[in-house]
Amino acid sequence: MTDDLFHLTAPWAQQLNADTRELDAAGAFPHDKWKVLQETGLLRTHFAPEFGGAGHGVTATMRALEGLGYVCHDAGLSFSASTQIVSVGVPLQRFGSQELKERHLPRIMSGEAITAHAITEESGGSDAMNLAATARRDGDHYVVSGGKMFITNAPVADLFLLYVRTGKPGPFGLTTLLVEAATPGLTAGPAMDKIGLRTSPVGTLSFDELRVPVSQRVGQEGTGFLILDHVMKREVLFGFSITLGEMTRRLEETIAYAGKRHQFGQPIGSYQAVSHKIADMKMRVETARKWLADTGVKVEAGQDASLDLAATKTIVSEANVQTALDAVQIHGGRGVLTEHGIERDLRNSIAGTIYSGTSEIQRNRIATLLGL
Amino acid sequence: MSTTDIAGEIRAYVVGQFLAGEDTTDLTGDYDLIDSGVIDSLGLVRLLSHLTRAFDIAVDDIELTPDNFRTLDSITAVVEAHAPVRAA
Repeated sequence: MTDDLFHLTAPWAQQLNADTRELDAAGAFPHDKWKVLQETGLLRTHFAPEFGGAGHGVTATMRALEGLGYVCHDAGLSFSASTQIVSVGVPLQRFGSQELKERHLPRIMSGEAITAHAITEESGGSDAMNLAATARRDGDHYVVSGGKMFITNAPVADLFLLYVRTGKPGPFGLTTLLVEAATPGLTAGPAMDKIGLRTSPVGTLSFDELRVPVSQRVGQEGTGFLILDHVMKREVLFGFSITLGEMTRRLEETIAYAGKRHQFGQPIGSYQAVSHKIADMKMRVETARKWLADTGVKVEAGQDASLDLAATKTIVSEANVQTALDAVQIHGGRGVLTEHGIERDLRNSIAGTIYSGTSEIQRNRIATLLGL
Repeated sequence: MSTTDIAGEIRAYVVGQFLAGEDTTDLTGDYDLIDSGVIDSLGLVRLLSHLTRAFDIAVDDIELTPDNFRTLDSITAVVEAHAPVRAA
């Protein structure tokens, strides 16, 4: 079953990879490819059958997403797909009211409603306990003021989960609210130009006396941090399973290239300078695979995985950057030309050490969990 | 484990991890650990991790609400709800 899930998106490979270079250059969200993703059923993988989902757990969903990363050269599209699963669907399934689940989960898992979650603000994202966007109660509504920054999918999203302050700074000061994009008082800015993942639009949100019914709160008031913790576990596992698939494909392509590219009468892979780089790539990919697999099992079993998640996120994201650099170096001139896609891999890898908690924050977390 | 054992274990963990070397005379069962700043966000993650390990509770089985984690008494009650308890 799990192996079938790895191949879930393979039949759509040609459509998923159409015009990737041009779309990357334009920095455009590929709406046509989003429709293809909807066809694959990938977005249904992790959700409960009672709402129309496939009912797979964490590790099976990871395998499906790894398969997407392996097949799909459009890393931005894959990133938006992962965001679609974790941003609203995951917290809604775990913490949402039955009414909210029935109303929104089918739209989310079909891909009809593109989703985003809004945490980071202009003042930063690492310090999530001190968000400035606030929501005050006004009868049966919350009134939200403030703004958000660097929000994946925001320019194209139909549905947002907002993390806003309803109490004092600290772990119980945050609350999550589900908001339709068309709600008066919510404005999404245009897509911002960026180095990589260019087909995954990122933008700002601003809230001007945005009124949200209390019935659209996800979880209890003050539970936002605990919801965020639940979501971030899956964000790391799902998002970086895609990365694992991408790294696996990169390694295979690099091995193949090193075998067929000749210099001084021999394949370049026969030279130790190249073969050792490839050996390092292999070790990084397999280290990433083992950490993801082990941490996925722990999270699925409901075991403590706080340190494992921080380590997994750091190891996989940094392996992605290094293997992309190695691939560029081994491909030589082809590595830096846009037509081959190798340089795009490198650009796409850069943000991985920043989003979902920077490498520095993850190391802080590890140190703290070690009692330092 | 008895209720007393659970409460003692949780108190020992909170004191050892978050109040080491401090006078804990005022640390009653209803003392607000969050508002007082004893436990911050990462502290809450650490506490949750500890509870899952020490009492063999799955995180997804715990009702994640603020009131369940504010005081030693409320944390003890959460653990009791998920771990077999015999009379003290």
